[in-house]
Formats: sequence, structure tokens, C-alpha cells
Amino acid sequence: MLRFLALRLVRAALTIALVVTFAFVVLRLSGDPAVIIMSPEAPAEAIAAFRKAWGLDQPIWIQYINYFGAILHGELGQSMRDGRPAIALVLERIPATLALTLPAFALKLCLGIPAGIQAALHRNSLTDRLVMAGAVAGFTVPSFVLGLLLVLLFAVTLGWLPSGGQDGWRSGILPVITLGLGGAGILARFTRSAMLEVLGQHYIRTASAKGVPWRAVVRNHALPNAAIPTVTVIGFMVGSLIAGAVVVESVFSWPGVGRLLIVAVANRDLAVVQCILLMVAGTMVTANFAVDLLYGLLDPRLRGAR
Amino acid sequence: MSGTVLPARAGRSAPPALVIAALVWITMILLIAVFADQLRPFGITALDLKARLLPPLGFGGTAQHLLGTDELGRDVLSRLIVSIRISLVIAFGATAIAAVLGTTLGFLAAHFRGWVEQVVLMLIDFQASMPFLILALAVLAFFGNSLPLFVTLMGLYGWERHARIARGLAIAANAQGYAAAIRQLGARPSRIYLRHVLPNIAATLIVAATLSFPEVVLLESGLSFLGLGVQPPMTSLGNMVGYGREYLTRAPWILLAPSAVIVLTTLCVSLLGDWLRDRLDPTLS
Repeated sequence: MLRFLALRLVRAALTIALVVTFAFVVLRLSGDPAVIIMSPEAPAEAIAAFRKAWGLDQPIWIQYINYFGAILHGELGQSMRDGRPAIALVLERIPATLALTLPAFALKLCLGIPAGIQAALHRNSLTDRLVMAGAVAGFTVPSFVLGLLLVLLFAVTLGWLPSGGQDGWRSGILPVITLGLGGAGILARFTRSAMLEVLGQHYIRTASAKGVPWRAVVRNHALPNAAIPTVTVIGFMVGSLIAGAVVVESVFSWPGVGRLLIVAVANRDLAVVQCILLMVAGTMVTANFAVDLLYGLLDPRLRGAR
Repeated sequence: MSGTVLPARAGRSAPPALVIAALVWITMILLIAVFADQLRPFGITALDLKARLLPPLGFGGTAQHLLGTDELGRDVLSRLIVSIRISLVIAFGATAIAAVLGTTLGFLAAHFRGWVEQVVLMLIDFQASMPFLILALAVLAFFGNSLPLFVTLMGLYGWERHARIARGLAIAANAQGYAAAIRQLGARPSRIYLRHVLPNIAATLIVAATLSFPEVVLLESGLSFLGLGVQPPMTSLGNMVGYGREYLTRAPWILLAPSAVIVLTTLCVSLLGDWLRDRLDPTLS
């Protein structure tokens, strides 16, 4: 078990290191930071002084190590737009994003998993067909189309709910539904196929044959085994809590991390983009790590393997 | 994307009606994309300031502008036709880049094993564990936006799926008689992989491409919707939705027409891909 943990930790650390390297490479490829920050018309001496001050005159691999060190110390640079630390800008947007993504996450789980299980238990029934149709719609209708259709119906035509902005809980309803419905479809599809796979196994037939009531077979034998693939998808959803609402926040002008990211990209505010990139990588890696641990708990066979 | 990709054994029974309907829609969209310049009644930047925000035919509009016009009096149908072409060209280009890149890396990993394989596997893990939208936005922020860069960037989407499949299948193929026999005859590795292994695993790779194609369409339209993809005066489906959003209350048709095309196209390609997968390779998920 310790070996399993250690391997997972090494892999998590490697992924983070890759993201940092990605940011460094992309940042350096995009041009000379001195020229970008000082503007191309700056006098040559000023640029040279800037290079010296920020260590840009050193060999690239030393710059790389310094860059790594700075990030490990939490120095993520300042926003070029208002000069505040990038990390503070991002952190103050997180509550607004979580206010959308957490209820949407709950909606996905409460809708997607039961729907998937019901569809699998009654394969080829009307329920199954409806769930699958909903699931396909869930990932073929892009969130901006779904969001705008909801606005058209509930805000413009019926006038029941606000079309955007963030005042009061009512303005959160449409974005949460938009986010939740799409994810619920994906989750229902995964749960259904995981359940179908498990229901075809010999141990399910054995349990039924020896007289265990069907409900107990489903509860004690099918569900725990079907949980393993489903947990992977849920893990990915946890990982995208911070940045999973980029498009939806834009549709509903919701002042969260996603909105900040879009504005930062449009203005090429590199420090903010980099900060969000690293934060997303951090959440994804942590979520994947947690999923791996859960695997170990759910299925003892996986502890030694891989 | 038409019937030509089906190998002979898939012809045992007729495809379900839904799949045929999907094929009809896809064929229609492809024809529209190919003949966009002949089909569009107006230029995409042709202004008709006397006919601004005209509703579609049947909702108070005229036969001259079947799907209505936008704020500047530009014909929505013409813009839709050209948008279909641009969105499809980007999606096709990107899917092709991803397939070539992924398959090459997968073959390299299968051929050299050792550290090359470890590096490829690590890259696959990295790509699979990061939300692609965030990576794409980061690259766009750092490099600014241009069409070639945008297509290349979209081409990085989904390569890991091809790489994983190509590696697994090539390793399996290397263990089989035909690859060993060709190697014994002294064929170069490039010949073994391109002339012998590739044709044997092509069906699976094509199915994988069919599955990632609609995702690329969604990604492109999402980025264009956010104003970070295809830039005006060019237009794409996502672009039109983004523009139409401003006129949601007064002229919803500007937005509804491209939305319907996006949804129907991704739906049809997904249906076709799912069906192909079930026919050709049930093990692929």
C-alpha cells in the first residue's frame, strides 16, 4: 500500500512539473519578456538593466530553475492590468465560481447516477431510451447553446428568472442548470455502461441463483463494482470545479474564475493566465490522486498493479 | 465520412434508420461546405441597411432572406453556409493533425519502447489530466490569435486517444506473424509500420477520429463563441452564436440557426461514430 501511495505521489508531482515546464516553454517561445513588459520602444540600456534585474541574462536552464523556485515559493507575478498579485485576483474570484460549480456538481450526481442505474436495470425499456437520449443531448448540445436557450425561454419569453449577472440566488439558477444538465448526461452514460458490464458478470448470476433478493444483489454486488469506472469520471468533475465553468460564466456574465480567465486571455495578462493554469493543474492532480486512493479502497486488486 | 470507410463485413445488415438519417444530414452538410460559394445567395459581408434584423420566412420575413438578416442587414443564410464551411475545414484539419500526430507518437512508443515509450506515456497522462480548454486558452493568451495557430492548436486536441490506440495495437501487431515475417525479410521500420501495421489497425483509428470530430466542432465553436477563436470578418458557427447573443431579445434567429447546425452535426457524427464503433470494434470505449 505504501508503494502504491509513493508511486501515485511521484506521478502527481511529475504532472505538476510538466505543467510548470509547459508554462515556461510557452512563455519563452512567445517572445522576449523584457521587450513585452518594457515595450519595444524602450531604450536598449533599460532593457539590458531589466534583463539583469530579472535574471534574463543568465543561461536558459538557470532561468528555468529560478522560475521553478519562484513558483514553489508561491511567487506567481503581478497582473499587468492593475498591478496586483495575480494569485490574489484569482483567489477572490473562486467563491463566485464555487457558488456555481458546487450546486451543479450536486445536481450532476443526484440526476446522473440514479438515471444511469435505472437505465441499466431496465435495459431497452422506455426509461432506458429516455435516459440515453438525454445523455446524448447532454454532450452534443454545447453549454453556450443550452445556456442561451434557457435564457431565451425563462428570462426573455417567460420573464421568470434574471438572464445574467450575480444578484441573489435566483440569478444562479440558470447557470447551475446549464452546467448540471450536461454533466448529468455524461455521468448517466458512464454509470449505465459500468452497471451493464457488472450485471453481465458470473457473480451476479450466482448471487441471484442462490436466492439473494434482486434488490440486495444490486445493492451489495452490482453497485460497489460499478462504482470504480464511475469514480474516475466524478474525479474529473471534481478537478474541474475551479475552471469547469469558463463558457457558462461568460454566457451569464458571472464574475468567477472563468470570466477572469477569458478577460486575461483577451488582454494577454500572462501572470493571471499562468496562475489559473497552475491552479487548475493543482486541482486536477489532487482530484486524480484522490481517485487513485479511492480505487485502492474500492478494489484491493489495484493496489499492487500498474 | 461517407459510406467508403465501411469495410465489407459491416454490410451484413442495414444500419438503423437513425444512422441513415445521420448520414443524410452529414452528407448534406459536407455538400454545403464544398459548394458554399455557389450556394450562398449573398456575400457574407454584403450589407443591406434597408433590411436590418429581418425575421426568417414564415415569421414575417421575405423569400429574399430565407433565414432573415442581422443588425447590419447581412443575410443569415449566406453567413450560415460560409460558417459551416469554415467550421468543418477547421474540424477536419484538426482531426487529421491529431490522428497523424497521435499515431506517429504511438508507433514510436511501440517501436522503441524503453524511455521513448515512457515519455510518450507521460505526455498522454499530462494531456488527459488537463482540461484542454484551459491549455488552449493559455496558448492563445501567450501567442495571440491567428488562423494557422488556431488550427494547429485544435489539432492538439485528442491526439492522446490516437496515440494510446496506435501504441497498444502496434505492440500487439509486432507480436504477430506478419510483422515479424516482414521484419525478417529486411523491411525498414517505416515500411513495416506504414504499409503493414497501419492498414491493419486503420479501422479502429478511423472510429477514434469519428469520436473526436464532434468534440473538435464543439471546442472550436466554444472558443469562437468566446471571441477567442475564428476572428471577424471571417465567420464560424460559434462566432455567429456569439454575435447573435447580443440580439437575443430582438432577433433570436441569428443565434438559433447556427446553434441548430452545431447540435445536429455533432449529434449525427456521434451517432455515426457510436454505430461504427459497435460494428467495427466493440472493445473501444
